[in-house]
Amino acid sequence: MKILENIIANTSLLFTEASSGRTIPVGKLYRSLGLNPVEKGLLFLYNDNLLHSIETLLNFYGTAHTIALLGQKLHPDFKNRLEGEYRPKYIFDPQRHDIEGYTLKEFSDTVKIFIKDDYRHETKINPEIKILLSTSGTTGTPKLVKLSDEGLYQNALSILEYMPILESDVVPLNVPINFVYGFSILTTNCMRAGRIVCSDKDIMQKEFWEDMDHYGYSTLGGVPYLYENLNRIGFFRKDSSSLRYLTHTGGTINNELRKIILSYCKEYNKEFFAQYGQTEAGGRMAYLSTQELLNEETSIGVPVKGGNFTIDEETEELIFSHSSIFGGYAGTLEDLADYDQKPVLRTGDTARKDQDGIYYITGRIKRIIKLFGIRLNLDEVEFILKNELQGSTFACLNDRDKKIVVMYDHKETDPQAIKDTIKNKLHIHPQYVQTEYIESFPLSQNGKINYPLLQNLQHENP
Amino acid sequence: MNTTEEFYDLIATAIAVKKEVITEDLTYQGIPEWDSMSHLLIVEALEQYYQVKFDFNDIMEMGTVGKIREKMKKYEVFVEN
Repeated sequence: MKILENIIANTSLLFTEASSGRTIPVGKLYRSLGLNPVEKGLLFLYNDNLLHSIETLLNFYGTAHTIALLGQKLHPDFKNRLEGEYRPKYIFDPQRHDIEGYTLKEFSDTVKIFIKDDYRHETKINPEIKILLSTSGTTGTPKLVKLSDEGLYQNALSILEYMPILESDVVPLNVPINFVYGFSILTTNCMRAGRIVCSDKDIMQKEFWEDMDHYGYSTLGGVPYLYENLNRIGFFRKDSSSLRYLTHTGGTINNELRKIILSYCKEYNKEFFAQYGQTEAGGRMAYLSTQELLNEETSIGVPVKGGNFTIDEETEELIFSHSSIFGGYAGTLEDLADYDQKPVLRTGDTARKDQDGIYYITGRIKRIIKLFGIRLNLDEVEFILKNELQGSTFACLNDRDKKIVVMYDHKETDPQAIKDTIKNKLHIHPQYVQTEYIESFPLSQNGKINYPLLQNLQHENP
Repeated sequence: MNTTEEFYDLIATAIAVKKEVITEDLTYQGIPEWDSMSHLLIVEALEQYYQVKFDFNDIMEMGTVGKIREKMKKYEVFVEN
């Protein structure tokens, strides 16, 4: 277990519960539950980013178990469906007091885990599969991504090549660790930093900022929405003295905000790392340092060390290779029997590369509208609108290849300006563009706009 | 006088829930609809309607509907009970 070995090797590492201040050194935490290291089976860990979740994760990581790392706020139906399919031996879920067919057992003062009553060894789980992460949201078919310890470790090493982690760093877990990005934040910092602060508070809560002052957070991470929200609450107007660097993933940041972040970094001497990753990649694929934010256009930067990009000549699809790539999807328990790591990952994004070797995402393969026989990438339309008309987020939908539906979430945005921009940039007559204001976009679990849901809403109110 | 009804209406619209869901004790993150994103929509809706401007601490201390009501008193916006 390379990840765990490297975490344990960081002997001065401390874990702290933000709310209580309870602190446990790594040497004690990782074996606090007294588990049998050769025991095999499947654990469902419904994570809340609090210390008991981290404690459970590290303890089971050190055994032969496979861990499905899931969000605690998942819809109960989704939990039921997943548990019915995979029939896990253990379930960690502090939100529930009883689960049919399971008995709750106290493993320590702080950790209680459900054990399956009639557990039988059913399917042999491939020993390569260490972590399972979910890609879909709260509805739909549960689909799990199979990841190995070796792959996750290799990706952590790639991240450590550029991330300026110091052994004095105090790192809050403000991104759920059941997302691959949050998982990477946890593993890389556990390997290098000084203290991990476990908390379920967010930036809209006073406690979060009190904890930041009290513990002296060195870094924060988030998807574009986090940065938009930080901007709205005035975060970039003042210094947070303990903070050294910020990290980001999950989509490009609009021009206006990019400039604000850049001037914040200059004025207060902070670093910002924009990153590009995917669950299937086992973590990060590319990154962009603060200096490169200066570029007029938003790029994803360069591949992480150990990784490589190629662009499909025909489709322009971005293809990634790295030893961290996943070993396939699981939709059923039987799918856990094999682990088939592919040499490359088709990202589903289209990209281009400039003379300096910097990559730019130009769209996503499947979101194409055919207007009068002209192929148009809806993501490109969004990119154009986002850059031309600042202040709003845009989501474009395909209305039966007849109209582009542009949804925007900023009341002040002028619908006519949307139509004008599309007309000027893409030569599409305003008649074929329909604009709609939406108060807030439905998001999928990973914080990105939930297009399938948006499309359904659209069908309900034509 | 500002009515509780319009106050609840504004919040319900901002977080896109039925008005019946709104109570004094409704808590931030207590329902999926009231999250960090919709929280700012509440702030914006109240600012526009009551012509006030909340500061950083105000926004952080709006943890329940009741606390929002209290917070507005600071700006002399009184909502009848």
